[in-house]
Amino acid sequence: MYDMKDAYTFYQNMKADGIIFSFTGPTSQSVAESIGELLRRKMELEETKMSVSLKVFSIFVEQMQNVLNYSAETDPPKVNGTNELHYGMVTVGKKDGHFYIISGNYISKQDTERFQSILDRLIAMGKDELKSFYLEQRRKEPEKSSKGAGLGLIETARKASHLDYSIVEADNDRDFITINAVI
Amino acid sequence: MENLIIEATKSSPSISLNAETRILTISGESYPENAAKFYASVVDWLHNFLLQSIPEQVTMNITLHYFNSSSSKVLMDIFEILDNAHAKGTPVTVNWRYHEENDTAIECGEEFKEEIERINFHMVEFSDEEI
Repeated sequence: MYDMKDAYTFYQNMKADGIIFSFTGPTSQSVAESIGELLRRKMELEETKMSVSLKVFSIFVEQMQNVLNYSAETDPPKVNGTNELHYGMVTVGKKDGHFYIISGNYISKQDTERFQSILDRLIAMGKDELKSFYLEQRRKEPEKSSKGAGLGLIETARKASHLDYSIVEADNDRDFITINAVI
Repeated sequence: MENLIIEATKSSPSISLNAETRILTISGESYPENAAKFYASVVDWLHNFLLQSIPEQVTMNITLHYFNSSSSKVLMDIFEILDNAHAKGTPVTVNWRYHEENDTAIECGEEFKEEIERINFHMVEFSDEEI
């Protein structure tokens, strides 16, 4: 059973990491909207510059919608339906004066290589290259497997001052991807 | 032709497409769950309007505080439609309205402006006092 004392340690650890909120579970558009609204209010109260708060909000939305669209952990298990719940996590925090957004979710092993290659490419690109790549991709028809325009990750890379990721093996069919974007 | 009016929600803009005044307005926030689906009726309306309408001035006023990447994709598609109409003789003006402190909206507007060749694309600044 869950030890209540752990909850306090968990809370303190999160606070020490500067975490503003951390969400784990089934995501939905309305969860994204509500948390997004709170996040904006919090940044407004702190008098965060509009340019910074829009970057944080933007990456938060893209990452949340990424989980919503691509998480390979669904309930009920995926049968190509559209009404499943997609699970994942999204954390927003502020440390040493910089906001960060971390997202994590399972991906299908079939997609691992695609994620790896696109993220490696994005991380290696400078701001001008990211801009041209974004404009080029925006003009293209969306890829077949992509519900969005596949632009979300490029957008995140453009808005972040630092981007990194990790992919760990989870089971036979899935890997777990974590993306960390620092403003 | 009927006008198209859509009320704003937390994550989608208010839309008003008026066939008589020939003024098209999109304003608010735009990060719906499925942008292509949300804007499908706008794209359809535009196609029909441009097909039926006389070659007179069309004005689009856009004031988006925030929009996500998939909305950006759809906006590009909409500008393309308008750009083609412009080339075929219907003059189109887009007013991209942005708050003076909204660097993202400025940057995004300029990127659209660079990408769209023919229509008149104006960057229009406003401040808190004018809201």
